[in-house]
Order: sequence, then C-alpha cells, then structure tokens
Amino acid sequence: MNNTFNIKRFALLVKKAIVERPLQTIGVMVLSLLLSFILYVVIKRIFGFGAAQNLTLVWGLAGGGCFFSSFVFAHFSSNASGSSYLLLPASWLEKWLCGILMVGFMYPLIFLLCFHVMDLAFVAQYHHSLDPTSVFYRQQYESVYPYDLNDFIARNVYCLFLILAGSMLTGSLYFNKIPFIKTSIALCILVFLLFGLNWLIAATLFDHMKDAAPFDHVTVAVGKEEGTLILPTGVESFFHYSFVYAIPTILWTLPLGRLREKEF
Amino acid sequence: MIEVRNLSFGYKKRKLLYKDLNLSLPLGSIYGLLGKNGAGKSTLLKQFSGLLFPKGGEILVNGYAPGKRMPSFLQTIYFIPEEVYVPSLTINRYKKLFAPFYPLFNEEQFYHYLDLLDVRDKGKLNTLSFGQQKKFIIAFALACNTKILFLDEPTNGLDIPSKIKFRKLIASVFTEDKMIFISTHQIRDLDNLIDNVIIVDNGELLLQASIAEIEKRLSFKVVDQMPDPNDLLYADSALKGYSVVMRNPGGEQSKVNLEFLFNAVTENPAKARSIFQNKN
Repeated sequence: MNNTFNIKRFALLVKKAIVERPLQTIGVMVLSLLLSFILYVVIKRIFGFGAAQNLTLVWGLAGGGCFFSSFVFAHFSSNASGSSYLLLPASWLEKWLCGILMVGFMYPLIFLLCFHVMDLAFVAQYHHSLDPTSVFYRQQYESVYPYDLNDFIARNVYCLFLILAGSMLTGSLYFNKIPFIKTSIALCILVFLLFGLNWLIAATLFDHMKDAAPFDHVTVAVGKEEGTLILPTGVESFFHYSFVYAIPTILWTLPLGRLREKEF
Repeated sequence: MIEVRNLSFGYKKRKLLYKDLNLSLPLGSIYGLLGKNGAGKSTLLKQFSGLLFPKGGEILVNGYAPGKRMPSFLQTIYFIPEEVYVPSLTINRYKKLFAPFYPLFNEEQFYHYLDLLDVRDKGKLNTLSFGQQKKFIIAFALACNTKILFLDEPTNGLDIPSKIKFRKLIASVFTEDKMIFISTHQIRDLDNLIDNVIIVDNGELLLQASIAEIEKRLSFKVVDQMPDPNDLLYADSALKGYSVVMRNPGGEQSKVNLEFLFNAVTENPAKARSIFQNKN
C-alpha cells in the first residue's frame, strides 16, 4: 500500500472535504461571488468601471480567497473534529494537496471565471447602451473595456492572494481556535511592525524624511522640493522576487510540514 | 499489538507525565485503562493513536510508529474521543464519505449495530443528541473492523439502557484478532466487560494484569472483622462489616470489584506491586 500518495484515496479525500462542510466550502464561495457582484455594481455606479473591476478583483480574490482558505485546515477548534481529521486514513501529503487544490486552484479558477463572465456582461451591456450615432460614441466605447487578467494590477492581486491565503492556511494549523481572526491579527501586527520599524530606521537615517515604505522607497524634503530615494535595482529585485515567489512558496509549503508534525 | 518501551511524555518539558513507561499489550483482549481525572489516560490513548508524539522512548502499534500517521496504520485503528465529531450529514451520507477509507468496513454490520443501539434517525447527525451521536460513532467504528479500537470515556453521555447495550455490543463483536482499549473513570461501566486491567496514576503504571490473574492473587469479600494488616490491601465499611481487598494465598474464587481494586491499587501502590510481582 502506498503510504505517501494514492490517487483513489486522494479523490475520496477531496470529495469528503467538499461535501463534509458545504457551508464552509460551497457556501463561502457562493457568498464571496455574491458580494463581489454587489460590490461591482455599487462601485461601478459610484466610481466607474475601472475602480469596480480593480476593487472587485482585490475583494473577491484576495479577500474572499483569504477567508475561504482559513476554513480548509480549520479542524482543530474541538478535540473531536481535530482528532477525526488527523486520524482519517490519508497521508499528510494528501491532506495538504487537498487543501492546496481547493485554495490554490478551485477557488481562484471559479472566482476568476465568474468575475470574467460578470465583467464581460457588464461591459457588453455598457457598450450596448451607447448611442452609435453620437459623436462621442467611439471615445465612450473605448473608455470601458473588459478587465485584462494579465495586467500589472491583476498580477499584484494574485501575489496578494497568494500571501494572504498562504498565511491563512499556515495560521489555521497553528491557531486551533478562531484561526481567521488570530491569523488576521498576527498579520496586522506583522505589517504594522514592518512599516513602523522601517519608518523608525528611515527617520533616524534621514533628517527631513516625509514618508517611507518598506523595501521600496523613502521620500525626503529637500528645501521646498521633495525627493524620492528608491532601492538599487539589485536590492529591489531581491525584495520583488521574495514577495512574488519566495514568501508565497514558504507560506504554502509550511502547512505540509505542520500537518506532519501536528500534535493534538 | 501495542509495545511501549521507556515512554516519556509531558506537555511541559520540565514536567513529565509519563517517564520510562513500559507496556506490552497483545491482541485478543479488552483492556480497561483506569485512572483518576488528570492521570494521563486520554494522553496515553492519544499516544497510541498517533495524536501525540513521545518525548522519549518508543511506541509500536500493530508494528507501526503511530506518530507517523501512515494511512496503512490509520486503517488498523479507530479512536473515539470523549466528545465525538459528527458533520452536518445524514447517516447514509456519512457512511458514503467516510467508510471507503476503511477497507474492512462492513455495511451490513453498520446498520445492525445502529439498530442495536437504537440509532434510527434519518435526519442530520449534528441535530442528534450527544448520546445518539456517540452511539452512531461507536457503531461506525465497530463496523470499520479495525484491529484496535480506542475508546476514551465511551459511556459518558449514554443513558443507562444505552450503557447496557454498549457493553453487550462490545462483548458480542470482540474477536481474538482484535483489541479494544477502553479508558474510563466510570469503573462500574466496565464490570464484566474487560479481561485486562491497566491502572495508571501520576504518570506511573501501577497495575497491568488480567482479570484471571487478579482473581488468583486478590480476594474481594465482605468480612466481620478486619483481617491481618499485612494481608489487607483495602477496606471500606459495608452494611455487614467491611468490604476488603486482600491477598489471596488460598486461591479462593471471588468476583473482582473494579472499584475496590482501583482504590486498593492507587492507595497502596507499593503493596499491590509486591503482590503482583511475586509470581508464586
């Protein structure tokens, strides 16, 4: 018998993970899609298409994905459910892969598909509502276009999703009770410390510092002007690749080790 | 088969709950693990099932190190904690989702056990009473036909008729190729059920003996006058004299009273040990 990976057992595990807690899997996904739809409609009406598309992607993918991922390994709120999960005859690799499949593939694929369809529909409806005889028709038509899921902002949202969802996956294996809240607090503290420390260090190094962003830039006042100091290219690349690849990889692989060593 | 060699474990590094514990438990018995609250009974069951890892020493269950939680090991054990977990599923749905993980699961037995334990509700499991949920899990665990079944305080939450049915069921399903390991502080619930007794206290193994051996070495009776203190292990005032647990040099037959045995061993561990270590 294969104690590391068995495709039949893995399929059973995935099926069990989805059907066993439908409220936390299908329910959260539906809720996230519904709220994304409402957000898109409201923001479009107030701020226009560009803001609606960006905010919906951030909220739905990074926010919803983060919330969804906090449930995937959250079996440890009670002694009974924790032991039932850990003692289910499936390997820790299969349990980890099941979580990765749900958070890393299932949720983003379904969300992005629905988001794209919704976006296409709203944009088409807008284009359809325009008067082709108007002098501004072409200008109005080209001012709104379907969201490019491969542009700079989208790629940053994917990175944010990977970091937030990875943090939740890891956090739910370290914090047994209310992992979403505890991990969120831990993340806030970390970000606050990061910004605070960075600001303090920058303030001690520069006399007329105006603002500082960690691993990015420092703005200083020079007379009546302002100047921005950015990181050297090599250092900037190091931090860029750390945020885009290294940190998400660490956060998504940590649960693998944690599932193996988890005592309950 | 459970083999424990020099097991050390503690929730805090400096305060060990178990130190150098040794046990050898072959299949073919129903073991009763007795101990006071906080004695470490549940901890020991969690060690055997792989939920906790030893700080020192080694545990082998069915030839596997439980801490590795390998699927081939997990298919041979079933652990029922004191508080059971049931998802928001019907009985049939639960069976369809969970049973395929246990290759020896027997559907016919499952429904038969449910029937014996009076679990007939067709609704969602999480809407059942705690006792019904527990009986459902017991039926499911027994139908999985694992070699070893660990039960932590199984009778907690069961009403009196259910406790009787539970005992009957456990006795009826037990076969020589299995082991049932019951941890409890409700000693009376194990009367006539277990054939081996393990008593732990303060992280120490005070007694591991079969009921037959206990019957051979100890006498449980009611006497008018207190016997010789050298032979006496435990005494409690009764309606007509004293209920005593004492040495049994004559080998006379008496029914083991688990409650008195437990009190006797926990109050006089050294004396109990000397009685059971002497192989004559």
